[in-house]
Amino acid sequence: MKKLFLTLFLIFCTLSHVFARPIISGISTNEINIDTNFNGTKILLFGAKGDAGNIIVAVRGPKKNFIVTKKQKLLGVWYNGKRIIFKDSFSYYSLFSTFDDNRVTNHLLSQLELGTNNLKFNTNENNANENNEFQLQLVNKLERDKLYSTGANKIEFLDETLFKVILNFPKTISRGVYTVEIYLINEDDLVSFQSIPIYVNQVGIGADISDYAYQQPLLYGLLSVIIALVIGWIANYLFVRFIGK
Amino acid sequence: MQIYLPIAEIPVNVLVILMLGLATGLLAGMFGIGGGFLATPFLMFIGISPAIAVSTSANQIISASASGLLAHLRKGNVDIKMGIFLMIGGFIGSTLGVSIFRILQKAGQIDIVVGITYVLFLGSIGVLMLIESVKVIVKRKYDLSFEEEAKTNENLRFQKFLNKLDNLPFKVFFPKSSISISALVPIILSIGIGILVALMGIGGGFLMIPAMIYILRMPSNIVVGTSLFQIIFIASNTTFLQAITNHTVDIVLAFLMIVSSAIGAQIGTRLGYKINADKMRTFLALLLLAVCLKMFWNLFTTPAGLYVIEILK
Repeated sequence: MKKLFLTLFLIFCTLSHVFARPIISGISTNEINIDTNFNGTKILLFGAKGDAGNIIVAVRGPKKNFIVTKKQKLLGVWYNGKRIIFKDSFSYYSLFSTFDDNRVTNHLLSQLELGTNNLKFNTNENNANENNEFQLQLVNKLERDKLYSTGANKIEFLDETLFKVILNFPKTISRGVYTVEIYLINEDDLVSFQSIPIYVNQVGIGADISDYAYQQPLLYGLLSVIIALVIGWIANYLFVRFIGK
Repeated sequence: MQIYLPIAEIPVNVLVILMLGLATGLLAGMFGIGGGFLATPFLMFIGISPAIAVSTSANQIISASASGLLAHLRKGNVDIKMGIFLMIGGFIGSTLGVSIFRILQKAGQIDIVVGITYVLFLGSIGVLMLIESVKVIVKRKYDLSFEEEAKTNENLRFQKFLNKLDNLPFKVFFPKSSISISALVPIILSIGIGILVALMGIGGGFLMIPAMIYILRMPSNIVVGTSLFQIIFIASNTTFLQAITNHTVDIVLAFLMIVSSAIGAQIGTRLGYKINADKMRTFLALLLLAVCLKMFWNLFTTPAGLYVIEILK
C-alpha cells in the first residue's frame, strides 16, 4: 500500500511539471469490496494544481430514498408518527476544500451542490418548517454515521502545488458507483473540473443471498420452506435411528 | 463467534442464536407448541427488526413442527381429515395476515402492532395458565376443590354456545376423532389463528390446542399431532408469502435456528415423558408472563432517538 502511494506521489510530481493543466489528480484505488469482515476503508487522493484559485473535493455516494420517522406518544405508548420521505438523496457525501470558511455560499457552489447548506433534498411535503426539522435530523444521523462530512475538512498541501486528501469510507457505505469530483474555483469561475469514479461492490456469500432474496423471491421462499422441512425430517430420522423413540 | 445476517443486515452471535433455537425446540417437543412466542420477541430483543423476526420465526416453526409431527404420525395420533379443514382456514387466515402485515409495514406501524398483539395474547394466556396450574398444584397438595361452586353458571353459558355451534349447517363426521361438527367451525377458527400466525411469527399452537379441546371437543391424545400437522402448512404458507411480498425471511438466521430447534424438539419430546407436567406448566406460564412484561415495558419506555432514519428499499 505504502509503495503504491509513493509511486502515485512520484507520478504526480513529474506530471505536475510536465503538463501545464490547471489541475490534475488521481486516487489510490477505484474499487472497494465489501465482504463480511469489511470495517471501513480509506482512499488516498493526490493532486497538483497549476493555476490560482480554491480547490474543492466532493465525494458523492449512490442516491437513496430516506424515510425519517418521528416517534410520538399516545396514552404513554410510543408509536411511529409523522414520516417524511427524502427522495434521491446522496447516501454518502464528503467535502474538502481550501476555503477558509467552509460555509461560504455563492451562486456557483449552490448550483454545484457543494457544502452542507447547498445540498438539495426533495420531498413531497409542503410544510417547510417540518421539512427542515426532519432534514436536519437526517443530515445529523448521516454525519454521526460518518456517511456525511460537510464540515471543516481542509485540504493538505505538501508544497505549493501538490495536495493530498484522505477519503474515509465507513463500514456502513452502500454499494454502487461513487464519484470523486475535483473543482478548481477562482473567484466565481469554475476553472477546472475532474471526476473520478469509485466502484463499491458487495462480495461474498452474504451479498449473493441478499441478491437472490430480492431477485428470485419465489425460489428463495420455496427454498426456505424446503430447507426447514428437510432438516426437521433429518433430525427426527437421526434421533430415532441412534437414540430411540 | 459472529456471523453477518444478509437480510437483517446486522452481525449476531452464533452461539446465542443456537441456544435460542434449542430452547424453542425443547418447548415445542414438550408442550406441542411451536415456541415462536419465545423466539420472535427474543430476536427483537437482540436487535433484529420485528418484521424480520416474525417472518424468520415462521420459517423455523416449520422444522420444529415437522420434526414433532413425524413422531406423532408414528403413533397414529393425527386426525388428517380435521387437519385438512384447519389447513384450509389457515391458508386463508395466514394469507390475509401477510397482507395486513404488508399494509402495516408500509404505514410504518408494524413494530407497535406486533408489540401490542404480543402483550395482549401472552398476558392473557399466561395468566390463565398460571391460575390453572396453581389450582392443580394446590388441589394436589391440600386435596381442596374450589372449581365446582363458581363455575356452573359459566359452564352453562359455554354449553349453550357449543349447542349453537352444533346447530350450524355443513356437518361433517371426523372418524379419527369420532366427532361430528359443522365444517364452518374449524375453518373460521383457523382463519383467526392464521392471521395471528402471520402477525406474530408464531405457530399458534398455544391457541389452537385449547380451541381443539374445548370448542372442537377432540380427544386430547390426537390434539397435539393434528395441531402440528396444520401448523406446518400455515407456517410454510406464511414463510413463502413473507419471502415474496415483504422480503423479510433471513435464511441464514432461519438456518441456525432450524438446526438447533429441530434437535431441541427431539430432546424435548423425550424429556416430556419424564418431567412433572404441572410444574413445567407453571414454569411455562411464568415464562410467557416474563416475555409479556418485557414487551410491555418496551412499549412505554422512551426510545433512544426520537427520530428513526431508514433507507427505503
